[in-house]
Amino acid sequence: MSTSSYKKSDVGNRGAHGLPDKMVVFQECLQQFNASPVNAKKCRLLLGELLRLIYHGENFPAAESTTLFFSISKLFQHKDVSLRQMVYLAIKELSSTSNDILMVTSSIMKDIQAGDIIYKPNAIRTLGKVLDPSTVSASERLFKNAIVEKNPILSSAALISSYNLLPIAKDVVKRFTNETLETLTSYKQFPANQFQLHEYYGSATTNLPSTSYMYQYHALGLLYHLRNHDKMALMKLITSLSEGSQLKNSLSIIQLLRYINKILVDDENLIKILYPILSSYLKHKSDMVELEACKVLINLGHLIKDDEFMQIITCLQKLLSVPRTSTRFAAIRLINKISIKHPEKIMVVNLELENLINDSNRSIQTLAITTLLKTMGVGTVESESGGESVDRLITKMTSLMDEITEDFKIVIIEAIENLALKFPSKHKKLVSFLTDLLRDDGTLTLKSSIVDALFDLIKFLSDESGAKQLILMNLCEFIEDCEFTELSVRILHLLGDEGPKTSNPSYYIRHIYNRLVLENSIIRSSAIISLSKFAVICGGSLSENIEILLKRCLNDVDDEVRDRAVLALSFISNKKKELIVKEERYNLNVLESKLTHYLNGGDFSKKFEIEEVPLLTTEELKSMEYGRKMRKLDNGSEEEKEETTIDSKDQSNDNKSGSNGNIDQTLRLQAFSAELSAIPEFSTFGNLTTSSQSIYLTDKENEFVVSCVKHFFISSSKLVLQYNILNTVDHMILQDISIVTQPDNELYQEDLIIQLDELKPQQQGTVYVVYSIPALTDEGEGILSAFGNTLNYIHKEIIDEEGNIDPSDEGWADDYQIEDLVITPGDFIQPIYNSNFASIFEQLPIEESSMYNLKDFGKTLPAVVEKLTKPLNMMALDGSDYVPDDSASHTLKLLGKDVWGGKVALLVRIAMTNGKLIAKVQAKGETEKFVDVVLDGFV
Amino acid sequence: MSNVSLKTVTATIILDSNGSRLYAKYYTPEAQTSTNASNSNSPSAIPTLSPLQQLEFEKNVFKKVFKQNQDIILYDNHLITYKQSNDIILILVASIHENESMIYSLTNNLIEALNILLDNTLDEATILEKYDLVSLCIDETIDDGIILEIDPAIIVSRVTNPRNANNAAVGEISLNKIDLSEKGLFNALSFASKKIGERLQQGL
Repeated sequence: MSTSSYKKSDVGNRGAHGLPDKMVVFQECLQQFNASPVNAKKCRLLLGELLRLIYHGENFPAAESTTLFFSISKLFQHKDVSLRQMVYLAIKELSSTSNDILMVTSSIMKDIQAGDIIYKPNAIRTLGKVLDPSTVSASERLFKNAIVEKNPILSSAALISSYNLLPIAKDVVKRFTNETLETLTSYKQFPANQFQLHEYYGSATTNLPSTSYMYQYHALGLLYHLRNHDKMALMKLITSLSEGSQLKNSLSIIQLLRYINKILVDDENLIKILYPILSSYLKHKSDMVELEACKVLINLGHLIKDDEFMQIITCLQKLLSVPRTSTRFAAIRLINKISIKHPEKIMVVNLELENLINDSNRSIQTLAITTLLKTMGVGTVESESGGESVDRLITKMTSLMDEITEDFKIVIIEAIENLALKFPSKHKKLVSFLTDLLRDDGTLTLKSSIVDALFDLIKFLSDESGAKQLILMNLCEFIEDCEFTELSVRILHLLGDEGPKTSNPSYYIRHIYNRLVLENSIIRSSAIISLSKFAVICGGSLSENIEILLKRCLNDVDDEVRDRAVLALSFISNKKKELIVKEERYNLNVLESKLTHYLNGGDFSKKFEIEEVPLLTTEELKSMEYGRKMRKLDNGSEEEKEETTIDSKDQSNDNKSGSNGNIDQTLRLQAFSAELSAIPEFSTFGNLTTSSQSIYLTDKENEFVVSCVKHFFISSSKLVLQYNILNTVDHMILQDISIVTQPDNELYQEDLIIQLDELKPQQQGTVYVVYSIPALTDEGEGILSAFGNTLNYIHKEIIDEEGNIDPSDEGWADDYQIEDLVITPGDFIQPIYNSNFASIFEQLPIEESSMYNLKDFGKTLPAVVEKLTKPLNMMALDGSDYVPDDSASHTLKLLGKDVWGGKVALLVRIAMTNGKLIAKVQAKGETEKFVDVVLDGFV
Repeated sequence: MSNVSLKTVTATIILDSNGSRLYAKYYTPEAQTSTNASNSNSPSAIPTLSPLQQLEFEKNVFKKVFKQNQDIILYDNHLITYKQSNDIILILVASIHENESMIYSLTNNLIEALNILLDNTLDEATILEKYDLVSLCIDETIDDGIILEIDPAIIVSRVTNPRNANNAAVGEISLNKIDLSEKGLFNALSFASKKIGERLQQGL
């Protein structure tokens, strides 16, 4: 909505809304507040009008705001409490836009010392808004007294005010630590007349609370920020508070639970001490506390044992049946979160979940269904009994589908697609559910999401399952009666790609031809292209028949259709197959970036080098899409994970760029390639083959932050190590910076190093070290190596404000140890996708196998599998990266392509016996010796 | 995931039956100190909305929640709880990871407090008429995103009534204004039955 349209509607509605005119209110405020004597009732109403404007989003410019501020401060002369409370609220709201707000400080302070108890808390909270860093210390005494005050409301107000002052005066607030601690554990009661103010309560004080303990919550919140750097003190606070139920307020317990979570994320070893505290809150009278305890424990799920995990599930199970919608919603949200990683753990609540499908809340219904879809998948992998429950679920969903809105339908469709992808054995029922849904009425968005799901299933389900045939036939039927041109075109395109490879292409040709007769020109033209694909791929008599069909189109009324028919016919008769069906496609992301670069370059005398854009084979394209798909699927859990890693703004950014995967990978490569080719020393190296992710070689809080990217130039056998160095020390300058690298593999020869001259504070610079990669020969240690790294530099101190150094200072040489860098097999591999692992594995010529004892790889199979796959940079196929938690053995199928163009496949069988993990690895490949390298570097 | 700061609520919004603002306050998120990386998980990770984006946001939320008594939804990476009363709707916005039950209780209790203050006539006309009570009530519940008080009775006890022209002292008002008319008794009765109902539900 634009500004103008908003204003218009505003003007039109003003009468109905009773929004007062800004200028009228402004003038009247000035007049009334300066009047003498002041009419308290009128002024309070006027302040109400003013706040109405503010809360409606009206902005008063600084000058007007300040004028208002001044005249409001005049009202301090009037003693009326109801007016004074309103005055404080108005001052608070205006304080952010006015100037010279400090001048009310003395009036406020007077109120805090000698004012009426009713507006004292308001005064304290407002004081926090008007103070600036220089004046905070003057009110220190005031705050301290208020914090320890017996009246809980006053105490809370002072604590919150201090909390708000933290960003501007942390050192002053730190001095309140003792008072805050005292408040946390003391008992404060409302004064007897607390409820007399309002007529509703009058004198009936018997049923009213004597205290709400909210001050505990505020004190705890403040204390954490005063103490969060001292882990031991925080630990002490947590353990002392959890003893003997010191905390009475639910909110403060929630806050405590969050601190425990935080501590445990930082230091997982404390789980033994803290787990009893956490689990004791799983049974609490307030459901928000129980929820928070579940949240924390699920977040730390990897630290606790299975039977302890069951306690969480039991707690959630109980919460699923409470009458409050929000609690049920929260519980099922958590269960859904567990189901992403550990569907087997929540199978016990399946019954409850099935009941929730009929819940009155749509979000709960949808979450119940998607969660069930995930647990069903597990059930069927292990046993056949799951089959019935899938049937039952689908029946339930079918009846539900009529009632729910499209947004939720789309969520469910995605969940079904994911289930079918992860557990291909279940596809039949799910596909038929999707196609039924496709036949029902629906808008374009809904239908597109169904068609998207079906398209993905065609692409990624293996050919033997017969899924492809089934879906294609259903799609054919769908376009017979499809009102959306856009969808018809997409389906025709897909039919052209997939149809010719099926066993009975003529079936599809008939359907496509029907389109040629019955539909509009856009669909007709795409039908022609689709038919021509059948003609060139199938050949034979089919081709001749299609030519006859196409010839009829030469007389079509629409010129586009005629043109396409002519073109297709001439390609077919001249046997130009590659012009109709192309196996390879340009990498569109790279093409786009290259074209933008070309256009921005402005030099059009040179022609655009289309050759530089890499071509992708269908297989590679599929790998990318599959990778993206799977990542999206896991994203829910990943997001959570990223957020739990604290202090990791940049780390999570890394993760993100990592998880965007292949597409980004090529773009990154492009960027690196441009960057490196600009350096003259590297000009002879040829094309950049692959670059690794950036690896941190120091902690991110160190004085110097060093990260490294490995660049491989396979054609010229060069390895370029790009060290990015960031100087975070404010008072020193580094000069003549170099990195001393020591490979533990003698075959690696250092060629040259490009040093960095100078690094000022907060500056980042790059040092390059170039190595020759040994050939994949027999002798020695092959191509794997670890590099020991040391940062060498000349240290100079900064002597003045401008960051200059003393020219006479010669500095001193120093070095700085950083972590080792390892070249792994994964550096030479790209993940690729194929739906038929078994046959690929069969065909690869070179085979080696080996056994490993996986001692240090973690205790559970899922952890091991994750640790193994990550450095190999290969793609796990047939859903084999998913391991049920309780299984004792697992088979991992990995596929990748090495930098020399050959395929590499690994079949890893892991078994757990007597707590020992043994892996048998069968590696097959196409590149001589590389299979050995992979096995070498496997662990 | 966990929000360790006290700042819990992102925004308090009251909309009328057309989705236009009666009250809207977006709270400034925790100020971040660049050196203190541990703060990076506070709600400030959500970018603050510009005034125009706020209006757009309200419009979209309104579409999702108006006349849908679902109590709670997730929208645009926010946790949103809401409650409708006559022709107005109160919406609280919080971080997506916030404790759902806590935020919903807050919404519920705020509505209850407003109901008491406005004599059980929580609708657009009354809100506009007694805007001073409404804004004070919200200020005594949520201060700058920090939950100040969650018990409706205590919230109400903190809000002053506008000064009655005839009576000077506040204490007297409360004694003189015990409403013994039919309407007053009916109000008391309906409040009591509502209260009992809620207590029973909480006990379950």
